[in-house]
Amino acid sequence: MAKTEPNLVLSASGLAKSYLSGEQRLQVLRDVSLNVAAGESVSIRGESGSGKSTLINLLAGLDATEAGSLRWAGEPAAADRRAAFVGIVFQSFYLIPELDALANVLMAARIRGAIGTAERARALGLLARVGLETRVRHLPAELSGGERQRVALARALMNAPQLVLADEPTGNLDEHTGNAVIELLLGLCRDMGTALVLVTHNAAHAAKCDRPLTLHEGVLQ
Amino acid sequence: MPWYLYLALKQLFPTGRRFPFFTVISILGVALGVALLVISISVMGGFGHEIRRMIVDTQGEVQVKARGFIQDPAALQAVIEKVPGVVATTAYAEGVAMLEHDRKPAFPVMQGIDLDRVNDVIPLRRFVRLGSLDNLDDDSVILSSQLAIAIGARLGSKVEVYSPLLLEKMKHDEVMLPRELTVAGIFEIGHQQLDSSVVIVTLRTMQDLYGLGRGVHGINVKIAGGEDPDRVASRINAVLPPAANAEARSWIDANQDFLFVLQLEKNMIFFLLTFIIIVAAFSVTSSLLIAVVRKTREIGLLGALGGKPRHVAACFCFQGFIIGLGGTVAGLALGFTLLHFRNDMIRVFTQLTGSEEVLTRFYQFSRLPAYTAPGDIALIIVSSIVISTLAGLLPAWRAARLNPVEALRSE
Repeated sequence: MAKTEPNLVLSASGLAKSYLSGEQRLQVLRDVSLNVAAGESVSIRGESGSGKSTLINLLAGLDATEAGSLRWAGEPAAADRRAAFVGIVFQSFYLIPELDALANVLMAARIRGAIGTAERARALGLLARVGLETRVRHLPAELSGGERQRVALARALMNAPQLVLADEPTGNLDEHTGNAVIELLLGLCRDMGTALVLVTHNAAHAAKCDRPLTLHEGVLQ
Repeated sequence: MPWYLYLALKQLFPTGRRFPFFTVISILGVALGVALLVISISVMGGFGHEIRRMIVDTQGEVQVKARGFIQDPAALQAVIEKVPGVVATTAYAEGVAMLEHDRKPAFPVMQGIDLDRVNDVIPLRRFVRLGSLDNLDDDSVILSSQLAIAIGARLGSKVEVYSPLLLEKMKHDEVMLPRELTVAGIFEIGHQQLDSSVVIVTLRTMQDLYGLGRGVHGINVKIAGGEDPDRVASRINAVLPPAANAEARSWIDANQDFLFVLQLEKNMIFFLLTFIIIVAAFSVTSSLLIAVVRKTREIGLLGALGGKPRHVAACFCFQGFIIGLGGTVAGLALGFTLLHFRNDMIRVFTQLTGSEEVLTRFYQFSRLPAYTAPGDIALIIVSSIVISTLAGLLPAWRAARLNPVEALRSE
């Protein structure tokens, strides 16, 4: 087992994943290793089908790796730690349509089992940070795509996670809105000292991260 | 509040102006089933309750009947009244007689009552609508209301009574005149059969008509409140002298076949109408299953945010529970409201269809009775909520089995 440095938030070593496609087994990820330090931002670019989303799912502990190991802050990654440790931003926002913006952000705290005045204040503060202080009572259907993604950013940061995993967060946004969202994401992570792994197609967005990486044919370079 | 309960409530009653059609329709389905159950069981309970009340009010809780007739009722009453739990007794004689007024004959059951003691056992005074029980003497009769109408007798009318003994003597060419009695009152119990075929005379009149001497056919017994009629009947049987050739039976024992049929009918109605709730529950299951499919990516998100599969399952189960709870409350309110106005509604319906008389004759009651036993309501509430909660189980199981990664990837 690889020895992890004390300030490493994420330590992935030798991750592998394959899928059965018909009768053929497709090796999506091969021996992927990635260390991310606290407050560091890492971007991963790659072609469609290169395994970027699969890698994010493995790093988030949503999917099981077939080989290697995954540690969060030196401890083995576990589903019951995910709510507190990892914040995830998806391409498709995935806001709950029955809940307003504030309730969507607070949902992360509710699932963690911590909901009170302090959490409410933090959620309102995060919504203000993403520029939605006047939209807290609006339902997702009443928000634009960029606003929805900003709500999703606030939700990802609600539990003050040490690591944010963003899977093509600008994929459903126009260029201008996408740029604003990336600036916001990087700024928030920097201010909060949160490590970020950003999966993106966009070279300009990737270049803004501390360490740009590429995933090619299942191998991280 | 745990997140899964919070989300269940939000999914049933979303924030904003959207009208929760699914929730309202689902609750309405359960409510209709519950309301029908409440109405049917209460009306069945009402029939049963009225019949039980009528039996007790006209016979007492325990009846001591002779296989022939009781020669010395006073002595036997003294024995019975010493039995623990017995409050009062009254002797009676009964039999069929022919009654004639204005050339209109009738063949009612004639009840001879002991005027001095009958009110201690049977609340007869309560049923006398015209005239008074105090006016009854050996030369008068109290007619049941429908019978009085049938033979055209009124208060003060003279009716002629032919007893079987009299008819027997007439067969032997003896010239016997019928007994002429004055109508001293008209009673109405509320049961069509009793109100059309019973007349009340004094015990002495009945003894004369039937040639019983001092004998009677039986003794009605009133027992203390809270006493079990069957137990009191057993105690009485234990002290009855063999020479009396009589047996005490509680009203429950004497009418056990009838009561069994009543209970069976009630159980069958409960069983059949429960299917309405089950059908409503199936529609809840179907709607929640559609919701699971529609919200697959949201369910995946909940998993990604750290939600446990059992909590996702609880979210859908709780929705079934809330629908069951809401439907039960609404159903109880609707059921009791309709029950409250049942007689007004029936009156309007029968007036419109001209079936008022048919209803009274067929169902024996002038008004639709209703009696809601707390146990029945508890059973309806528990059944409805349990069935509705179970309706959420299949969708809950489907939701809990979803893999977050596959759910998030779904289109």
